[in-house]
Amino acid sequence: MSISIKQLFGRKPKSSSIAKQRLKLVITQDRLDVDDRVMTRLHHELAEVLAKYFEFSANSVKMNLKQEGNSYILVADFPYTKFHDLNVRR
Amino acid sequence: MGKVIVVTSGKGGVGKTTSTANLGTALALLGKTVVVVDADVGLRNLDIVMGLESRIVYTSMDVIEKQCELSKALVRDRRVDGLMLLAASQKNNKDDIQPEQMKAICDKLRTTHDFVLVDSPAGIERGFSNASAGADEAIVVTTPDVSAIRDADRIIGLLQNARIEPINLVLNRFSPQLVGNGSMMDQADVLDILNIDLIGVVPEDSGVITSTNRGIPLVYEDASPGAQAYMRIARRLTGQRIPIPDFEQSGLFSNILKWFKKKK
Repeated sequence: MSISIKQLFGRKPKSSSIAKQRLKLVITQDRLDVDDRVMTRLHHELAEVLAKYFEFSANSVKMNLKQEGNSYILVADFPYTKFHDLNVRR
Repeated sequence: MGKVIVVTSGKGGVGKTTSTANLGTALALLGKTVVVVDADVGLRNLDIVMGLESRIVYTSMDVIEKQCELSKALVRDRRVDGLMLLAASQKNNKDDIQPEQMKAICDKLRTTHDFVLVDSPAGIERGFSNASAGADEAIVVTTPDVSAIRDADRIIGLLQNARIEPINLVLNRFSPQLVGNGSMMDQADVLDILNIDLIGVVPEDSGVITSTNRGIPLVYEDASPGAQAYMRIARRLTGQRIPIPDFEQSGLFSNILKWFKKKK
């Protein structure tokens, strides 16, 4: 994907690349038969488990599906602010 | 033995019928024997797009109900040798036909013709299963917009499950100008998403509207860019190797760029 001069000068991204990006995500979900509710539930369950070990704000979490060749990759970003030390009794 | 090719898309209005009419006519112009089959029972249009609407007497439904012989239901296009149309019934609906019955018709037609092109209705339901039941190969038509491409991807999945291959893509209503200014996905973008072979790119051509108005497929007018694109696709279907031209390089600015590149 090349970066155009317009993009270098901080103009809006081209609508064609936005279209491509949006399509890629939605088609990956379609192909895997994953609906939004399942993704939301997974999101909550993952957050529940990770909250035992890390401190993070819920709205900083990002989850995405990507396709690379024939396989699909689930990418989840949980930017954390603190690691709970489980050895310390609270 | 001829080939049975289903022309499909998922989404409506992307140019399935126009593509079927033009590819069928183009193949006949290349000397092949062709039957174009309208599989859109209840919403037939291939007849009017081809200008044959006043000559329909029997339909595929009459053949299935044994009201007439298959050969008698075929309407001969008098403008070119070797082109026939099998119309769909307008009085019935898609559930009145079984996939096996469509397959039987296609199997019979392929013994007497080089190509059988089946124009599929939009959607992923019964109409689509009927249209694809007898197909060896598929042509998926899409336009470069998000809804058409998403639906095309669904259809491609269903065709793959039905073991129909190859599945070739026709990218329709392509606008080099819009691609040039970043408002439309280019062929590389679409292929990256859909991951199937491209058999042709048809540029946006206002001639399609006037040719449909008249009932004369565009391919009869050699000079139009749409006609040339369909003729190239037809040649590729016959096995000829013809490169896909680079439509994106046709703007003034890109021509100047190209000229500078050549100078280097």
